[in-house]
Amino acid sequence: MIDVSSISKQVVTSEGTLCILDNINLSVQAGETLAIVGASGSGKSTLLGILAGLDLPTSGTVSINGEDITAMDEEGRAAVRAGHVGFVFQSFHLLPGLTALENVALPLELQGVSDALQTAAHYLERVGLAARVGHYPRQLSGGEQQRVALARAFACRPTILFADEPTGNLDTGTGAKINDLLFDLNQEEGTTLILVTHEKTLAARCGRTLELQAGRQINSGNNA
Amino acid sequence: MLAFKMLLRSWRGGQLRLIFASLVLAVAVVTSVALLAERVERALIAESSSFLAADLVVRSSKPFNPQWLQRAAEEGVRTAQTVSFASMTYHGDEMHLASVKAVESSYPLRGAVKRSQTPFATDEADIELVTQGPARGELWVDSRLLPLLDIQLGDAIELGDGSFTVSQILIEEPDGGSSFSMFGARILMNWQDLDKAAVIQPGSRVNYRLLLADGDDFEGYVDWLKPQLSVHERLITPDEAQASIASTMDRGRRFLLLAGSIGVVLAGIALALASHHFANGQTLQVALLKSWGIAARRVRSLYLQQIVLLGVIGSVIGLVLGWAFHQLLISAVREWLPIALPMAGPRPWITGMATGMLCLAGFTLPALWHLPAQSPLAVLRRDTPINNLNAAARGSLGVLAVALLLFWYSNNLWLSLAILLGFALTAMASIAVGLLLLRLGKTYGHWMGSIWRLALSNLWRRKKPSLIQMVGFSGAIALLMIMVVVRTSLIDEWRWQLADDAPNHFLVNVAAHELDGVKQLIDQRELETAGWYSMVRGRITLLNNLPPADVVPEDHESLRRELNLSWTRDLPEGNKVIQGQWWDDSTPQNGALAPVSLEEDIAKELGLKLGDTIQFSVGGLTFDAVITSTRSLNWDNMTPNFYFLFPEGYLEEYPRTHMTSLYIPAEEKLLVNDLLRKYPTVQVIELDKIIDRIRTIVSQVTRGLEMMTLLILGCGIVVMFAAVSLSMQERLQESAILRTLGSSRRLILGVQWVEFSTLGLMAGLLAALGAEFAVAMLQRFMFSLPFNWHPWLWMVGPVAGGLLVGVLGVAYSRKAVTQPPLQVLNSL
Ligand SMILES: Nc1ncnc2c1ncn2[C@@H]1O[C@H](COP(=O)(O)OP(=O)(O)OP(=O)(O)O)[C@@H](O)[C@H]1O
Ligand SMILES: [Mg+2]
Repeated sequence: MIDVSSISKQVVTSEGTLCILDNINLSVQAGETLAIVGASGSGKSTLLGILAGLDLPTSGTVSINGEDITAMDEEGRAAVRAGHVGFVFQSFHLLPGLTALENVALPLELQGVSDALQTAAHYLERVGLAARVGHYPRQLSGGEQQRVALARAFACRPTILFADEPTGNLDTGTGAKINDLLFDLNQEEGTTLILVTHEKTLAARCGRTLELQAGRQINSGNNA
Repeated sequence: MLAFKMLLRSWRGGQLRLIFASLVLAVAVVTSVALLAERVERALIAESSSFLAADLVVRSSKPFNPQWLQRAAEEGVRTAQTVSFASMTYHGDEMHLASVKAVESSYPLRGAVKRSQTPFATDEADIELVTQGPARGELWVDSRLLPLLDIQLGDAIELGDGSFTVSQILIEEPDGGSSFSMFGARILMNWQDLDKAAVIQPGSRVNYRLLLADGDDFEGYVDWLKPQLSVHERLITPDEAQASIASTMDRGRRFLLLAGSIGVVLAGIALALASHHFANGQTLQVALLKSWGIAARRVRSLYLQQIVLLGVIGSVIGLVLGWAFHQLLISAVREWLPIALPMAGPRPWITGMATGMLCLAGFTLPALWHLPAQSPLAVLRRDTPINNLNAAARGSLGVLAVALLLFWYSNNLWLSLAILLGFALTAMASIAVGLLLLRLGKTYGHWMGSIWRLALSNLWRRKKPSLIQMVGFSGAIALLMIMVVVRTSLIDEWRWQLADDAPNHFLVNVAAHELDGVKQLIDQRELETAGWYSMVRGRITLLNNLPPADVVPEDHESLRRELNLSWTRDLPEGNKVIQGQWWDDSTPQNGALAPVSLEEDIAKELGLKLGDTIQFSVGGLTFDAVITSTRSLNWDNMTPNFYFLFPEGYLEEYPRTHMTSLYIPAEEKLLVNDLLRKYPTVQVIELDKIIDRIRTIVSQVTRGLEMMTLLILGCGIVVMFAAVSLSMQERLQESAILRTLGSSRRLILGVQWVEFSTLGLMAGLLAALGAEFAVAMLQRFMFSLPFNWHPWLWMVGPVAGGLLVGVLGVAYSRKAVTQPPLQVLNSL
């Protein structure tokens, strides 16, 4: 489903070239679950963005469903994302001018889904925010905002869901419920899950773990 | 429609407030300025047409070709013929050489005739406005004819071979001021009575006028007519009809145009700033749309739709508001604007709408257009790999939109150039000097107190928005300055016309032996003259030693008539030497050839240049003169103007007459009668009515200008407001964070005060530069006013800029210290 071969990411800063990712190789099958772990600043978010085609590696290739997205132009990548990809940003990126409900409904509306608002309400209910649908992001707590972002990603029913620390701001109880939701999605619809997390329990529920250290892959194994 | 839904949500979420408010206000201001300008302009045109009693007049010394009238009737062009001549009038033993005008029943085509049943009426209540002339058998006469002929209204007098009833007092004819050569009491009679009176004999000096107005294709008719005019016939436009008012009107109109154009540019700046803000706020949404895989084309189309929707809704509201606004202004100054303003055409509405749509699209779309082509994370990080050249090119799209708009609106290259170049100069100086000063401030700020240090390093850190703000502030301030400077200099120019005691009568042809008597009469009424001038009447007999008829093919007026020759040592006030040199003490007196200075137009018409010789004949004696200079005269000025001027020492021995100008108030008007009765050869040129009209018009134009200036100032404030709002979110956030860290109110507001007033101060200084430049261009090319420096700009600019921007900024950021920090952060 996703094939990554020897990607690296370098950025040029005022202090010189910085290597954020160094020679990452990875292959994820459809329906698999993968946890990316590592210390803060080790390059997890960067890798996730590249896997989802939101950003480009400096070298190496990424293919989704056998299509090399690094060789495509921005439009081609957009088309691939439109069919398959859901993404939950570490900093949520909710639109401040839209209510929780509208934030979730917007991508559905763009897809032309007719009952976008109902679907959005349904997913908000599933993340436990039925009472918060009319609130603006600034009126929501950090954890609530995170759940809106998750609902927004779920609502599009992606085939691959990328989530950057999906439960990072949640208490254990709520976090567990969200995790259940993620894995239900994986079970029921065969959604491929690629998660960045600091939580051992969540990482442990995933089929595989990829550990990064300063941009390098230090082990990649099955959590058998 | 999804775009509409998205727009509605953004509106509810408060993202559109600034851009919408700017759009509505900008369109409202432009619309109201354009509406007012157009209506005042139309009023001015109507007013100047009424000086002719028509839109166009053909003057001739012969009756008109009947074909012209026929063609006019076919084309729906309204016509009225008039003929003026001098004729003796009699009643009993009394007689008077009156100045008669016979008019067709359609007269006047423009304006109205003022008549009364009360001689010497000045009270509006006694005066009736009518748009017709006298009926057959009737005469409408000047008040002073009554005492001159010793008659009452209703009496019959003889004119030529006929006897007519004096039925009305003629107070004023719309085109009464157009001929200065009427010396007798004015009489208006019906055209069809001309035969009965048999006053026009072959060879008598008469002046025919064909008045023209309206028609489906007025221009077409005029184009058809023009080539048929002979040398005896001349077209007179409203502007020519009144040289003294024409330039006032013209400058007034130019000023209105300037005001409207400045309104357009200010609206453009306001929209540019607000659009920048709007586009910045949209990057997150663009990135999200991208991350959901929406194609670039679709993202663009969504924004295009939203912007068109926003533009249409905002502009339409702006149009309505602008209409209401201008109506409000008009009703506020109704009592000063007695002339009814004609309705405006479609142009102001188009201008308003186009300003809204073009500026909005021109400034938002280029800022958003390239984003969808980038990867989502690049958009989010705002490190899209575009170079500055591209950014500049995109920014200039909006500027181009404004430039086109400006040119379309003003239809005047100089004006557009002056404003755009003045603005470009200000903007470039703002960026260059701004960067330098900010850099200096940052480097040396640490020597100052903590507030200054923090404020100056903040400005440097935010240099991009700071510079954008500075361009906005300085642009707005510069435009306001241009407005105020031009307005002030125009009003200064016109001040004499508003003076209550400007001369309104000329006394000409006062013989030397009559001078003391005339002076005495004037003294008795305690009136003062503007000084006496001597002149000699002479004819031109040779041009460059050839008879004039051989040199000038046309029968030029100055060759037929006696000319007024005068002498002076110094160049008269308001005259300008165009070619050659004015004489000085080294010019020989009593040379063989007398130096003469000619008015430039007459020199052109006679085909004369410097060094040519003219022979004059004065009372049978001749003398030769050589042209040493040509001059332009000042018609704005009611002092005697001379076409031919000599140095002292050449004309003194010829028999001379005297002339003067003086102010005669309405209640002393009978002085004219006394004068004429006692000294029948003295000529009195009465300009009191025309001056009253000029004064009314000038004061109305002035009011109009004041109104415009106010409106434009309002627009300037909108721009300032938009510029201040630009960085507010970030500032409030930082202030709130400083507040959580325990910073005092003094520090936070102090920092804002220093930042904003520094920006304002620099902007004011740079604005003075741009304004000085633009004003110099405008005065030179548009208003023909002399250039002068405006040192006060350089003082007032920075001080007012600093204060205004500082106060606006601090008022805006007060929230940061009056509300708890978390509330502030959450509300952003
Ligand atoms: N555009 C960029 N320019 C410069 N440095 C960058 C850029 N993007 C990422 N980095 C750096 O690369 C490193 C990896 O960033 P990344 O966001 O991937 O870390 P992370 O593993 O997700 O950390 P965390 O767990 O704190 O979220 C960090 O040190 C970051 O500062
Ligand atoms: Mg991260």
